[in-house]
Amino acid sequence: MSVPWSRQAAPVVAVAAVLAVLPLAAGDSPYQMRIATLMLVLACYAVAFNLLFGHTNQLFLCVGALASLGGYLSVILVRDLKLTSLAAIGLATVAAAATGGFLSYVSVRRGFGVLFVGIVTLAVSLIVHNLLLGLRDLTNGETGIVTRGLGVGLGDDPHRAYYVLLAVLVASLAGYRWLFGSRHGAALHALSEDEVSAELSGIDVTRYKVATAAGASALVGLVGALYADLNGFISPSVYAVGHVDIPVLVALLLGGMRTLLGPVVGAALFSVVDELVRPFGQLTVLAYGVLLVALFLLFRQGVVPVVQGLLARRAPAPRVSSPRTAAKEEVAGGTEAGR
Amino acid sequence: MGVVLDGLVLGLQLALLSVGVVFVYGLGGVLNLAHGQVAVAGGLVAALLLQAKVNPVLGGLGGVLAAGLVALVLDRTLLQPAYRRRGEERLLLALILTLGTSFALDGFFTFRYPNVALSLRLPAPSVEVAGITVRTASLAVGALSLATFGLLLVFLKGTRLGKAIRCIIQNEAGAWLCGVDVERARTVTLFLSGLLAGVAALGQGFFSYLGPDMGPEFTILALIVAVVGGVRSLTGTFLASLLLGMVNAALSYWVGTYLTWIALLAVAVATLLVRPEGLLAYWP
Repeated sequence: MSVPWSRQAAPVVAVAAVLAVLPLAAGDSPYQMRIATLMLVLACYAVAFNLLFGHTNQLFLCVGALASLGGYLSVILVRDLKLTSLAAIGLATVAAAATGGFLSYVSVRRGFGVLFVGIVTLAVSLIVHNLLLGLRDLTNGETGIVTRGLGVGLGDDPHRAYYVLLAVLVASLAGYRWLFGSRHGAALHALSEDEVSAELSGIDVTRYKVATAAGASALVGLVGALYADLNGFISPSVYAVGHVDIPVLVALLLGGMRTLLGPVVGAALFSVVDELVRPFGQLTVLAYGVLLVALFLLFRQGVVPVVQGLLARRAPAPRVSSPRTAAKEEVAGGTEAGR
Repeated sequence: MGVVLDGLVLGLQLALLSVGVVFVYGLGGVLNLAHGQVAVAGGLVAALLLQAKVNPVLGGLGGVLAAGLVALVLDRTLLQPAYRRRGEERLLLALILTLGTSFALDGFFTFRYPNVALSLRLPAPSVEVAGITVRTASLAVGALSLATFGLLLVFLKGTRLGKAIRCIIQNEAGAWLCGVDVERARTVTLFLSGLLAGVAALGQGFFSYLGPDMGPEFTILALIVAVVGGVRSLTGTFLASLLLGMVNAALSYWVGTYLTWIALLAVAVATLLVRPEGLLAYWP
């Protein structure tokens, strides 16, 4: 690509800078630091989900399950096998990557469409959830595990937790930027438009999808493990579909799929909304549902593409943009109805 | 022996739930993830009517009708944008929309009616039939679901609209070319799926109780059965319901709930991997 790397890196640096000074605004309130950290966690999940769903059309409804794999494995390895925390987190990340890659491989090989991938991964999520509930000896069932002292100590220092998560987020954004500046990014664009054409022009679709799924799952597993540490406590419900997958889906749609900043902006907006409805208890679930429906119906582009469009109109400088066809509204093709 | 009977009746229950999902998928190309919440809506309305001292039969009918109406509203409003698309696009849009709806309804039910539950008590808890003790609830649910399926069969085989619906499941474009009003048939189907879900909710009320938070459970059960039976095959779904009902009853009797859930889900995943068109799909 002809864009100089400094220009490519600019948005990532800007995000890093803004988020790095955010704790100053929060002052010393641990509560606000916690919300900010949880926002980073959500943003990381959303970056991964953007790669999975946005770019390779794999509707992985098992983000929470992969995160729980990372979280529980990292904790149990330290508790029962006396591994060092870092080694345990590393192993948990690898395990999540392997699981995600395997799910993706099977789905691609069996030729599953979006719907079937969604059902399979949802079923996997529920299996994992029930396993976590059922394997009481290992996971303590519904009661959960207190993780204090089993991790790298993120739970003790809110600022440390925040900056570690920020480092992970910025690294993943930089990786994303690098990916889409390289020829691999071009390949991903091609296969997200039309897999058959991509395959015919020599792109190994299976390899790209599986590799993307493995990479994204690694990120989810890592963040899940870090979350276990900073939260001080894990239970099956903190990783449940309703607590992870739905917020991730809403945040990504809110921010904008297939964009660099969409996941971050979406996570930030979602955190604000979530904080506003939190006092109403069960109404949060209702709010998630309504948001999901409204966003998907009325605002499928998301905030970031809309703002970019406005800015581009305001300042029509000769911008070099990636050859992305923005959210093409498909004119009903001759595809067969149903699967 | 009691376990077998329980399993059969549970299977009929599952069939009531999943036939609706299969119908809507086969006809509309839409996987309704809010199906369980439709059932719960019906059950809650019935419960509220019973609380208001309405005649039990009328209350039950009211609940069933309410479930049908919820599904009808869903079809006429939220699913319209999905119907305007085709194939994969329609599936995805409808999937996300119904997922969102299911959460919205769940949140609403648990927030607004946290303590309402449908529990239908029969005069005698159990009776002796041919030497074995049988719960009257099982008999009631069995009779109720068999009667419902009888009516459904009469509708599908006997009326013009029913025939039209079966035509569309086989070939939407062909049916349309023959002058079948596809959109109307779709709406009727969603209404029917809602009614069936409502009856299933009543059955749950007879068995034990139906709470406002049981929507996801129903949806997942219906999905599992639909997947195992083949998402386009009614016979397959019916067989799968009976089979999984027996498996479910036997497993929860001997090994406990968590493992039962895991086993059912694993069967569904395995089916998708081995035979994505459904384990029992092409049976006569």
